[in-house]
Amino acid sequence: MRHTIFLISLLFICCSGVSAQQATELWTSNQLLEPATLASNITKGETKNLLIVSVGPDATIKGSVEMGPAHDEANLKRLEIYLKNVSKDKEVVIYCGCCPFAKCPNIRPAFKLLTDMGFKNAKLLSLPKNIKADWLDKNYPTND
Amino acid sequence: MKKAVCFLLVLFFINFVFAQSSVLKIGQPAPAISLPAPNGDIQTLSSLKDKLVLIDFWATWCAPCVKEQSELKALYTKHINQVKAEKFEILGVSLDKSKDNWRKSIKHLKIDWIQVSDLMFWKSPVAKEYGIEDLPFNVLVNEQGNIVAINLHGKALEDFVGKYLMKSL
Repeated sequence: MRHTIFLISLLFICCSGVSAQQATELWTSNQLLEPATLASNITKGETKNLLIVSVGPDATIKGSVEMGPAHDEANLKRLEIYLKNVSKDKEVVIYCGCCPFAKCPNIRPAFKLLTDMGFKNAKLLSLPKNIKADWLDKNYPTND
Repeated sequence: MKKAVCFLLVLFFINFVFAQSSVLKIGQPAPAISLPAPNGDIQTLSSLKDKLVLIDFWATWCAPCVKEQSELKALYTKHINQVKAEKFEILGVSLDKSKDNWRKSIKHLKIDWIQVSDLMFWKSPVAKEYGIEDLPFNVLVNEQGNIVAINLHGKALEDFVGKYLMKSL
């Protein structure tokens, strides 16, 4: 019985850690965009008011523009300059997918920049594991 | 009931720990690797037979991988005599896309073990052959080219390599 309580407690601690982390993120759950939704929009050609920006290692997603990993100050500056010419009403979706959200050094500086610049429809693509598992393995549309 | 709950929980954690490759099995021959080094020369895994080889799959865009390089450096330095005696080697396989980033990071991180990459990002055939789902990922291969451990990190990796090399003295 003691082992059961210990294991359940361990599980609870792990899960509560994850929840606590989500609660302190820069984005709300409404600002997380599901890959299936984006893939469907791309496939149907419904991307007129949409800008998809890679802030990670590669512009894998079809139609996305590559700004380079946003943890690098030069790349973040490049993103800022690029976004200056973009309407604040446009839906801007950023993604990285280098590694799990908790370990990604790129999404937070990029998302903060979008918010600070006043983009009302800033979104983060939900790639909780990585671009391989959450996009490529699902055969969603890519740039090549 | 108690036992069933414990069993399910243990199963959950085992599944979590070993979820990174469903292709590889301990005891099986490691899939062949034949890829270019930064200077363009082709380096093969088979040329490293008769050594314990740590195949480190990484990329410069993977923050946890970059962080781990200092630990690998410490491991390599600790066992440098076995490296010189051709008993141990590290083979770094990068899933990078940019050759420039890859070369710069090797220099910056002072990596002095073998490095190879086809610069194909996740589309590299080697990533598929090794069933890699996430980085960092590693495999330890023995003198006969068979897999002896999968995805060990930190103290577990250090202990495994230390004990293995001690045994083979």
